[in-house]
Amino acid sequence: MRGPDSFIFRAMVRVAFFLINLLALYLLLRGHNLPGGGFIGGLATAISLVLLSLALGLEEMHRVLRFDPVRLAAAGLLLATLTGLLPLLAGRPFLEHFNAHFTRVPLLGELHVGTPLLFDIGVFLVVVGITTKIIFVLAKSTAGFRAMVQEEEARYSSPRETPIESDWLAEAATPPQQEKSSAPPPASAHSPRKEDHHAT
Amino acid sequence: MDTGAICLLLAIGLPLAGFLLPAITGKRLGPRTAWVALGFPVVAFGALLTLALSLTWPARLVMEIPWIPTLGVNLSFLVDGLSLFFGLVVSGMGCLIFFYAGHYLDDHFEHHGRFYSYLVLFMAAMLGTVFANNLLLMFVFWELTGLASFLLIGFLHGEEQSRVGARQALLVTAGTGLALLAGLVMIYGVTGTYDFSVLASTGLPWSHHGGWLAAAMVLLLIGAFGKSAQFPLHFWLPNAMAAPTPVSAYLHSATMVKLGVFLCARIFPLFVDHVAWAPLVSLVGFTTMTFCAVLALLAHDLKAILAFSTCSQIGYLIGYYGLGPPAGVEYDYLHIFNHVLYKGSLFMVVGVVAHAAGIRDIRQLGGLFRRLPLLGSATLIAAASMAGLPGTTGFLSKEMMLKEIFEALAPHEYLSWFACFCVMLTSLVKVAFSTRLFANIFLGPEPPDISRQFHAPSLGMQLPPALLAGAALLFGLMPGLLDALFQPLAVAGLNRPGHLSLWHGFTRELLASTLLVIAGFGLYWLGVLTQWRWHAIPKSLQFDRFFEAALDFLARFAKALTHFVRSDTPTAYLPVLLGFVLLTVGGTLAWHFGLDARLITQVAAADWPAPQLMRGMVAGLIILAVIGVLVLPRWTTQLISLSVAGFLICFYFVLYRAPDLALTQILIEVVTLFLILLLLGRFPKSAEEGEITWQAPRWRRALNAGLAVGVGLLATCLILVVTSQPATERLGDFFLAQTVPLAAGRNAVNTILVDFRGFDTLGEITVLLVATLGGLGLLMRYKRTPEEYRQGPLGPPGMGTPPHEKEET
Repeated sequence: MRGPDSFIFRAMVRVAFFLINLLALYLLLRGHNLPGGGFIGGLATAISLVLLSLALGLEEMHRVLRFDPVRLAAAGLLLATLTGLLPLLAGRPFLEHFNAHFTRVPLLGELHVGTPLLFDIGVFLVVVGITTKIIFVLAKSTAGFRAMVQEEEARYSSPRETPIESDWLAEAATPPQQEKSSAPPPASAHSPRKEDHHAT
Repeated sequence: MDTGAICLLLAIGLPLAGFLLPAITGKRLGPRTAWVALGFPVVAFGALLTLALSLTWPARLVMEIPWIPTLGVNLSFLVDGLSLFFGLVVSGMGCLIFFYAGHYLDDHFEHHGRFYSYLVLFMAAMLGTVFANNLLLMFVFWELTGLASFLLIGFLHGEEQSRVGARQALLVTAGTGLALLAGLVMIYGVTGTYDFSVLASTGLPWSHHGGWLAAAMVLLLIGAFGKSAQFPLHFWLPNAMAAPTPVSAYLHSATMVKLGVFLCARIFPLFVDHVAWAPLVSLVGFTTMTFCAVLALLAHDLKAILAFSTCSQIGYLIGYYGLGPPAGVEYDYLHIFNHVLYKGSLFMVVGVVAHAAGIRDIRQLGGLFRRLPLLGSATLIAAASMAGLPGTTGFLSKEMMLKEIFEALAPHEYLSWFACFCVMLTSLVKVAFSTRLFANIFLGPEPPDISRQFHAPSLGMQLPPALLAGAALLFGLMPGLLDALFQPLAVAGLNRPGHLSLWHGFTRELLASTLLVIAGFGLYWLGVLTQWRWHAIPKSLQFDRFFEAALDFLARFAKALTHFVRSDTPTAYLPVLLGFVLLTVGGTLAWHFGLDARLITQVAAADWPAPQLMRGMVAGLIILAVIGVLVLPRWTTQLISLSVAGFLICFYFVLYRAPDLALTQILIEVVTLFLILLLLGRFPKSAEEGEITWQAPRWRRALNAGLAVGVGLLATCLILVVTSQPATERLGDFFLAQTVPLAAGRNAVNTILVDFRGFDTLGEITVLLVATLGGLGLLMRYKRTPEEYRQGPLGPPGMGTPPHEKEET
């Protein structure tokens, strides 16, 4: 997936990326009292990441997003579950929330904190993680890249169940392909694999 | 909290809470993880011992922690002789097995953390099962043992044998576990309680609900038979031997398969009066005993021999409860304890032999006594105990067994003769294969293979089996010790503690057992003479093959059925589904209001809000967009039109003052648009070229149009009807009123999501994550032919086109 090859678009997206994420954070934080919340905030952040991938190219996203987004989702689920378990320590029912309201906080004035925010952050992380993961995987496979890196393939399927193409990929891989994939991706727009495809 | 509760918590709760500890430390500690894990059984054994010593016997103690009181499910535990006996056996064997495993699994083994985690989890589940007082709780632990054993049997899941064995074990034990659950629910339905202690003290209402209780009894026994590998479900146990040897020794000889025995003992006082109890239990038990003993003689893999002999012995233990007199049995603890001693020991011996010599086939072994004198002596004692030779607990057990069989001849006529025949035959065969086991491993000439690859096992590995064999010898020589152990553990209604002694005088039991031993040696000698040419399990007796064939057939049948009903073509199914909805919902609506004018008058009379310009305009735009979807020629434009309709609906939400919904809808619209565009990229060529040239026949299009209009009309009618009736009680008002006081937030939508219905949300995000993982797995496993991959329309990993379309282009 690659957006229009224009400088203006790339520059705009770089700005928009931060603006959207600011909005997402804002939506997340105000969710308890005003329209917003973890789900919406998560969607906004996911959209910002997709936009960024349009501007930078999918290969670059590995550099920006250094980890597997599913880990983010797993962390979110863990956070939400832990938030639910927290009250059990105090002998309260599962998922009971606690709120505290401070009126005289320096610089901020009023401050409202509570465990619902933690839970919401968990939801946020889950939504960001799975949305970006699914979109990126589909996008990559559509654009002619390997959908997942080797390590991820091992993570999401049993070692017994490799995709059929991987058997002969190893033997059919032509030398130029291997060279290119081991070298850092070229700055020019097109994906290395795709060029090879056209060449053959 | 009193001492008892603390002890139980240490024994059951600690391993249950900490079973992940070995997994965490596994990477760093490697083989030394065993010593971390060893802490759990040691603590459990110590706690249970303390508990046993702190009680005055005979004791019956119930400890209860409320869990789901509305369902009658509580964390309720029962401490009596039976549960404590099994608890001590499980945790005691646990200590030895963990110690043994620590020496057995060396640096070559990679997954120490995972292994010990499963093992600790298994031990916790076992202890939970035997101590559970609440029947549902017992079921939960019961199935947990099955799951843990599944993980352990399939531990080396790189090997197909392990996977097949694990699957068989899971299907059999979990499947029969469902029968057990059904039986437990029936008991609850009749008696209204899940508490075993209550049931035991009041008894079952046989006079009122005899039929239900009899059915429940059969179901419970099916559960027990499946777990204990009874005929004809015995086949999973030998296949479960694909697990690492410490697992085989722990799960499948000493503990898990005894759960069936445990269950029979538990329900013995409840059901023994029923007329079907004795025939059902003893027929299955004794058939298994004889059948598997013969199979053990025919097998030649060391582990298979022991596994079949375990099935056989478990069959005896279960059949024993079947023939027991209603007042209670006498020597069940003795038989169980005896089996634990020798079978645990022999399994560990087999592990050491296989470890040292690298061979498990009994035909290729021999002459190891010179190299392994300690192990050989232990095996001699254990095998003697298995054969029932004097001086071992096996002898005591067999004498009592024969005595009771002879005594039981009177009350159950034909059944007892059958049992008597089975016991005789089995004893004889057991002598033969016990002799074979010892003689073929340790005596005779040493094959050259062994001389080449033998490496000496460590002393620590030989210690646990030697210890168990030593115990078998000690208790066999001094039965008074066993008396002192078992007398206090007797449970009213189940046991009448009998008295043990070494010498009963010249009785018919002694005569019979002497003759049997001589005949058994004779059988062995016969085998040597014929060079064991005949011994191999006939194919018609390999029940696991039938089971696997049935599974294969099931898979093929499912596939054929799926093809037949074409469940993979939504276009074929949608008319059926929509037609069904129209018929049922629309029909109900029409039937309810009749065809008179009531509906129309009611709708007309409702208090409708005045029409608003904005809403009308947005509605008009939405209609326009939808018409666009219908009439626009290219489906990319159709898609965009559909998205426009989606965005316009956001306006509707705004107009109805639902900003949360509007925001969510906008963002979801964006993300789905991304997704659909991406997926379009993966479609085959016809999509890339733009158009579908195929036109449905006219009748089909008419049907589609009719269905679409019908569904639209139905939805309109439903909305009209629902909104025209004044709501009596609105849930929304409650949330609006309670949001600030209860959840301290002013956004009712979000407080519902994270606070009032937070559990739902937690479930939903879990589902999201699980669905993603599943989807990724599916994406990984999509199969394409190399040709498809190379010629895919959009570069290699597009989803490709079906082969037949390829050929056309």
